[in-house]
Amino acid sequence: MQHPVFKSTGSILIYFGTWILLAGIQFIILVFQYHFPLEIALADALVFNLLFGLIGLPMWFIVRYTAPSSKNLFNIVFNHLTSLVLLLVIWFGLAYSILSLLFHDETVYNDFLTVSVPMRVISGVLLYLLLGLTFYLLIYNYNLQEKLKMEARLNTLLKESELNMLKSQINPHFLFNSLNSISSLTVTNPEKAREMVIKLSDFLRYSVSSGAGSLTSLAEELENIKRYLEIEKIRFGDKLVYELNVNPQCVEQKIPVMILQPLYENAIKHGVYESTDQVLIETECNVSSGCSEIRIINDFDPDAIPRVGAGVGLNNIRERLRLTYYRDDLLKTRKEGNRFYVELRIPDETLNQLT
Amino acid sequence: MKPEHRHKVLLIDDEPPARQIIRDFLKSYPGLEIIGEYADGFSGLKAIQELKPDLVFLDIQMPKLTGFELLDLLDEPPVIIFSTAYDQFAIKAFEMNAVDYLLKPYSKDRFSQAVDKAIISLGAGNKEVESVKKIIETVEEEPDLLARIAVKIRHKVHVIPVREIRYLEADGDYVTLHTERDKFLKEKTMKYFEKHLDPERFIRIHRSTIINIDFMDKLEYYDKESYAVLMKDGTMLKASTSGYKVLKEALKL
Repeated sequence: MQHPVFKSTGSILIYFGTWILLAGIQFIILVFQYHFPLEIALADALVFNLLFGLIGLPMWFIVRYTAPSSKNLFNIVFNHLTSLVLLLVIWFGLAYSILSLLFHDETVYNDFLTVSVPMRVISGVLLYLLLGLTFYLLIYNYNLQEKLKMEARLNTLLKESELNMLKSQINPHFLFNSLNSISSLTVTNPEKAREMVIKLSDFLRYSVSSGAGSLTSLAEELENIKRYLEIEKIRFGDKLVYELNVNPQCVEQKIPVMILQPLYENAIKHGVYESTDQVLIETECNVSSGCSEIRIINDFDPDAIPRVGAGVGLNNIRERLRLTYYRDDLLKTRKEGNRFYVELRIPDETLNQLT
Repeated sequence: MKPEHRHKVLLIDDEPPARQIIRDFLKSYPGLEIIGEYADGFSGLKAIQELKPDLVFLDIQMPKLTGFELLDLLDEPPVIIFSTAYDQFAIKAFEMNAVDYLLKPYSKDRFSQAVDKAIISLGAGNKEVESVKKIIETVEEEPDLLARIAVKIRHKVHVIPVREIRYLEADGDYVTLHTERDKFLKEKTMKYFEKHLDPERFIRIHRSTIINIDFMDKLEYYDKESYAVLMKDGTMLKASTSGYKVLKEALKL
């Protein structure tokens, strides 16, 4: 931390301005209370105050390096007493010499100088305390600001890494099975194999290229979902059917990247993987009261019992939405017969956007 | 090779392209005849029982029954070539038991290697019962909790959701699963069920009894120093001293 007085021209002006203000008060007292001639009063006030201001400058370093927390109280008190005595001796010695030289034939004033020693010492101590406390306050404030800044940065980092954890990873099962389909298609339908390689590449590119905190348009996110569903359609054939009904008003809506992907992965996992019948995955996007509403409905076999428990995917999305929008009422799911509904609401304004 | 000596082959995989590639690769094996293709564990199991194939290409992740669940229900399994895309436990199970398996996607060379090996064991008339049992045992090391249990009564397969099981009783080499409507025998140990059922809900109250606390009515004195659990359907089940302690802890008494 730099010396606060020399931080800028403004701070130098404020510092010496304050001392001139104090000199002004002293000048008024000397003129009206003690009836000294104007030039003597002015010289006395300026010399004493500006000198203190100058000699007081190095006090900063004493304050700076005796931060109350770092050393014990005895050390601090000892340091300050030493510097106080030193400062008073230099200050008063210099001021006294200058003023008595300037006005050596003014007997009344010279007597006053001698008589006023105790008063000047007391005011010197008070000025020392005032200046010291001001410096301490500045340091305290500076440290506080730094701490707040650090905390804010730490929070951002934490949030980013949390989001990264929650962002869906490419499911290796999906990846290797898709590659197997491609391998199969190269013999029977090379054209379709090439198409699938391109779709899979685009899908992978989209998944790896964007950070977890970044936002994209709903149109782009849905484009990627279409790729994903097309790939799954090649794997499962007619067993998978999908429909997209998107209100054109929604397509520009910003949404967290790859937030829809796990929802479709779920629909495929619990719908297509567990069923022997045809499974329809429907998507509807609409605008309603300051939100974009995305609804994904998939068929599932109510008799199929998942091999192991699920729910991690949905919880991750909930957590991601909470970290992005500070709300936890954006994702809702329900079952109706053999249909599974996922409703996702995306608020229009995005608070605290990362990256 | 005369047609009547051809080996019968079944393909069980839920993805049409995955079956297609096996069909393509098998074209160069006139001794192997594909007699059926199935897309889920249920119909695959039925087909194995009815058609008695010599060789089965078996996927692991499938609707209704997984490849392993299917295998567990077979009394006399045929020669099996497993295939999976990505399943760490499955791969571990295969490796530990030196069973041949194909990792999707696979090359024709790798495929031929597996098929040649299978043909040799077909010729030798090897039964795979032992290796299959070992694979199942290895798979059961998987720490996942069960959500369903597949049992077979004669030729009928039932898939029971574990939440419907009221209690389990040891019965020789078997365990009887009691549900609301029925009871089912499963050739497994109590230790297996103790390990793979949700410990928050299923409590082993006795060496030969595990109860589902959702179906428990009350805990009573049986005689001095011993307790009995009364189930909601009226069944009385004895608790051992240690079983009683575990139960008390689970009920937070």
